[in-house]
Amino acid sequence: MPGSIPAFDINSRSPAILGSRVSASRVGLFRILRSGAGRVGIVLTCGLVAVALLASRIAPADPFASVGPPLSSPTLAHPMGTDDLGRDLLSGVAHGTRTSLLLALIVSVLTGFIGVIVGALAAWEGGRVDDALIRVTEFVQVVPRFFLAVIVIALLGPGLDRLVLLLALTSWPWIARVVRAEVLSLKQQEFVEAARSLGAGRSRVLLREVLPNALPPVVVVVSLNAASVILIEAGLSFLGLGDPDVVSLGYLANNAQRFLRVAWWMVAFPGATIALAVLGLNLLGDGLNDVLNPRGAS
Amino acid sequence: MRRGSMTLQAVLVLISVWCLGSVPAVGQDAPVRGGTVVVAIVSDPGHLNPAITTSGATHAAAELLYNGLLGRDERGDPIPELAESWQVEQGGTMYRFRLRDGVKWHDSTPFTASDVKFTFEEVLLKFHARTRASMGALLAGVEAPDDRTVIFRFKQPYAPLLYQLDATEAPIIARHVYQGTDPQTNPANSNPIGTGPFKFASYTKGTEIRLARNPAYFKPGLPYLDGLVMRIIPDLSVQVLALENGEVDFLWELPAPLQSRIKGDSRFQTARTGYHPGGSNCIMTMSFNLERPILKELRVRQAVAQALDRQTFLVQILFGDGKAAAAPISSEIPWAHAAGLNMPKPDRAEAEKLLDGVGWKKEGDGPRTARGVFGVADGTRLSIDFLHFPTFAKYGELVRQQLGAAGIGVVLRPLEPAVFAPTVFKDRNFDSNVISYCNGPDPEIGVRRMYHSSQIGPAPFTNAAAYRNPRVDALFDEASRTVERDKRSRLYRQIQEIVVQELPYYWLVETVSTRAWAARCSGFKAWTGLFAEGAFCRR
Amino acid sequence: MPSRYLLRRLAQVLPTVVGLLVLNFCIIHLAPGDPSIALGGEHGDAAYYTFLRARFGLDRPLPEQLLTYITNVLRGDLGTSFVHGRSVAAVIAERLPATLLLVSAALALSSVAGVGLGALAARHGRRPADVTINAVALLGYAIPSFWLGQMVLLALAVGTGLFPVQGMTDARDPKTGFGYMLDVLHHLALPALVLAANELALTTRLVRTGLLEALGTDYVRAARAKGLPEGLIIRHALRNVMLPVITIIGSRAGMFLSGAVLVEVVFAWPGLGRLLLSSLLARDYPILLGMFLLISLTVILANLITDLAYAWLDPRIRYQ
Repeated sequence: MPGSIPAFDINSRSPAILGSRVSASRVGLFRILRSGAGRVGIVLTCGLVAVALLASRIAPADPFASVGPPLSSPTLAHPMGTDDLGRDLLSGVAHGTRTSLLLALIVSVLTGFIGVIVGALAAWEGGRVDDALIRVTEFVQVVPRFFLAVIVIALLGPGLDRLVLLLALTSWPWIARVVRAEVLSLKQQEFVEAARSLGAGRSRVLLREVLPNALPPVVVVVSLNAASVILIEAGLSFLGLGDPDVVSLGYLANNAQRFLRVAWWMVAFPGATIALAVLGLNLLGDGLNDVLNPRGAS
Repeated sequence: MRRGSMTLQAVLVLISVWCLGSVPAVGQDAPVRGGTVVVAIVSDPGHLNPAITTSGATHAAAELLYNGLLGRDERGDPIPELAESWQVEQGGTMYRFRLRDGVKWHDSTPFTASDVKFTFEEVLLKFHARTRASMGALLAGVEAPDDRTVIFRFKQPYAPLLYQLDATEAPIIARHVYQGTDPQTNPANSNPIGTGPFKFASYTKGTEIRLARNPAYFKPGLPYLDGLVMRIIPDLSVQVLALENGEVDFLWELPAPLQSRIKGDSRFQTARTGYHPGGSNCIMTMSFNLERPILKELRVRQAVAQALDRQTFLVQILFGDGKAAAAPISSEIPWAHAAGLNMPKPDRAEAEKLLDGVGWKKEGDGPRTARGVFGVADGTRLSIDFLHFPTFAKYGELVRQQLGAAGIGVVLRPLEPAVFAPTVFKDRNFDSNVISYCNGPDPEIGVRRMYHSSQIGPAPFTNAAAYRNPRVDALFDEASRTVERDKRSRLYRQIQEIVVQELPYYWLVETVSTRAWAARCSGFKAWTGLFAEGAFCRR
Repeated sequence: MPSRYLLRRLAQVLPTVVGLLVLNFCIIHLAPGDPSIALGGEHGDAAYYTFLRARFGLDRPLPEQLLTYITNVLRGDLGTSFVHGRSVAAVIAERLPATLLLVSAALALSSVAGVGLGALAARHGRRPADVTINAVALLGYAIPSFWLGQMVLLALAVGTGLFPVQGMTDARDPKTGFGYMLDVLHHLALPALVLAANELALTTRLVRTGLLEALGTDYVRAARAKGLPEGLIIRHALRNVMLPVITIIGSRAGMFLSGAVLVEVVFAWPGLGRLLLSSLLARDYPILLGMFLLISLTVILANLITDLAYAWLDPRIRYQ
């Protein structure tokens, strides 16, 4: 299931597409605002984050409680209509957005953490360590995430916590590869030599000089991965494997299927929100990529 | 020229009068032969032997391949089928049936009384839940003195027999195919031989089952159709789409939200009925596992009953199509349904008071906590699990919603029928569940098995609550011995009064199905499993 | 292609396959309670569990069990489905062709259309046509495939009656021969389209980005200066771009298959997707495990094939 479309190739076999890297990128992140895609991406993502944070304010109704007549179309009282059990859809969408974004955030942080450590270690140490870590990375990359989630949830029952763990443990390879490629190339550069000759220890150089410059492409991959996490959760809910005790956008979209013909709002709003979230995160990634990769910019 | 045209006109008028004159009585079209009808079913039945299961999936797909001794008319009363006549003798302890002559199995072997004897003794009484539960202990024996006579002997007068001999309750299967084998694993279950209006043609697992016309069917002239295809379409709303698109001609179940849409469309016809292939007169019933410490306490069950509002279930899940259950026995059996019973009224405040009284205290958000509850450790959260077929997910959600408001946590566990039955009845691994308990045409058939202590066991869809009450057992035993309807009525009323007090179950809603089919087809019988026996379609 | 490279790649794949088998084995033992439950379902009787324990050696020490499991799998024995009453391999093999058909059709569609659209977009870089194509491509994968499937179903099948809403064949009149092929194609159209939509977007954007970058290089500028026709330039650039594009598409095999599952469920397509769903609901673990193994192996195979294709197209790689 898609969700992460890299606009560049992280496989270090093809320098043609990889393009050059920008090293002084600490200031450069604001350049994202110059990119059209980046602007839209930021607006969408921030908008959805705001909805998620303010979910309780915008839509104070408990998304699981019947508060209105069933299957009523959007009105002032219920701007997104109600579902077949009379539950307010706006509350559902707001809380669902919060769930989806929270899921994406936690998984992103965890995968970022694991990926950076593995990638940096592999590139910095080189030799046997590198070989071993690459093998592990390749193996984890091959395991199909969605199907693994399906079977683990079938065996252990649904739950957001195990989904988070599962996705975190299987999504880091991409990040690790990017970090490794970055660190490898940075290793050769002059400022590293300079720092070493000044007497800085190996780990200091890694942490202080190399990693901060290696991180920007990671942010791109992380945002793309976050989008795919949201789609995976939606797909799992569609199959009935979602957490039934939590409102999520996938659960809402799944619930709405029976009523496609009589209550278009039940499908439209959650589906559109999923699409907007994925779109926003991908555009954000695009924008970041534009900043870091001007030659291949969109 | 003029004369010629006048003659022509006259001839045309004559012809049209002749045609009109030969049109059958008003309201009835002449049946058209031929054509294939596509029927949508919800799940792959797994096998096609309806004698070893009460599963709706198998019966929907396979009943047209078989017959029972008797059939059912629109009101549910018995009509001749494999048996052409019958006598009730010796005060209801003996039933004698005369079988039709010349009935053949699909492989041309003659049908005889020994098939009936074999089916009852070796198959139905072992594997069919309702037959077992109702007749099992009371049947002394089935005799086949000659090829065309079957005699049922009971240990005591048994009133309901004539209502449970149709293809849903007692389909007759072939002795020469099944004798000496295990009926559950015999390969004929996927390649069946029956006596019914249609023969088996092919079974593509996961996709469809094809049936072909039985030219040697014992009812002359029937069936009209060349064949039937049972297409497996798991999603009800896709079934409706397929109906509208002309890919499917007949739906067993029109989902409630789409009913007004299809009813208003002149391309389709609908019919309402209390009969489901899995059984008739069904009530969605919540069972409590009385062996679990939390639910052992009557006041907790009362609290659950008062926290639930049956009317909401009717409105939100069935969209008003059906009835809120007013008694443990369905209102579709009017002489047994106890009107005016003191059913628990929805009253959340009262429910919460009851729970407090037991010792379940509300501490902050979420489910209540045990403080001094007998048999439960202090600090335990009041949380029960709720098992259901995936198609009944809405019931789960409403139960969770309404019980949650009173401080009872509910964990939903959806399970497919194949797994649900063993989990509930064999392993008894559940706190509560919802089951569509079908009463059948007579309470002996579908009600007894829910309450009688002898019906606690691994056979699917028996006494899920593990309810034991010697007084209720005695009342049921007496009712099964009685033949006069009035007396039975009084006995069933007493039973219902007791169980409404003790709440081993909570009865939610009575369900009806709305069948839908393309208007170019007629002759479908919505009230029976042999629904397409007399059906035909115009091009 | 030198067989040395082929052998080397195969040798690299082997440990991954073994790793997958070990992972599958661990998952079996992840099931709460007895692993014989994971293999035989929750409702067998005592005799059946004893039989399973003997067959899979569940009472022996773990390493020995692992070996038994791996040998069984290599012999093609993936266990028996207690719901279907047949071997897992047989049940999966029955449903596989339908899914293969769907996936191949969608892959072909998305690749061809993706390259075409991507080239078109790159050619009109940053002008309205490009922006439109990019926007549509973005939407194409942002919309969840099951949602898109439902919308397409409503609009194109029921709304117009042009396409069937379910299944692979016509239920009423089963056709044979050429008519059968046409019937299947008719039913295949919508699900393949919806499945292709997601990957189409990816391919379009990859090709577009790669081309834009390639078109900005010096040697292209030189070629333009020399007066070479634009079409020829683009074709050359495409050749260079295709290599990494193929790699990325190949590495997304897993996600493609998961999309296939969802689309199959929406369109009642009789393939592995439906099998997955019904096995899930019935808790038919042997089938689920078998499918997981099969999908994982397919992903490995896809990666291997793309690697080999890459090596075949780019001689530099082979001789590294």
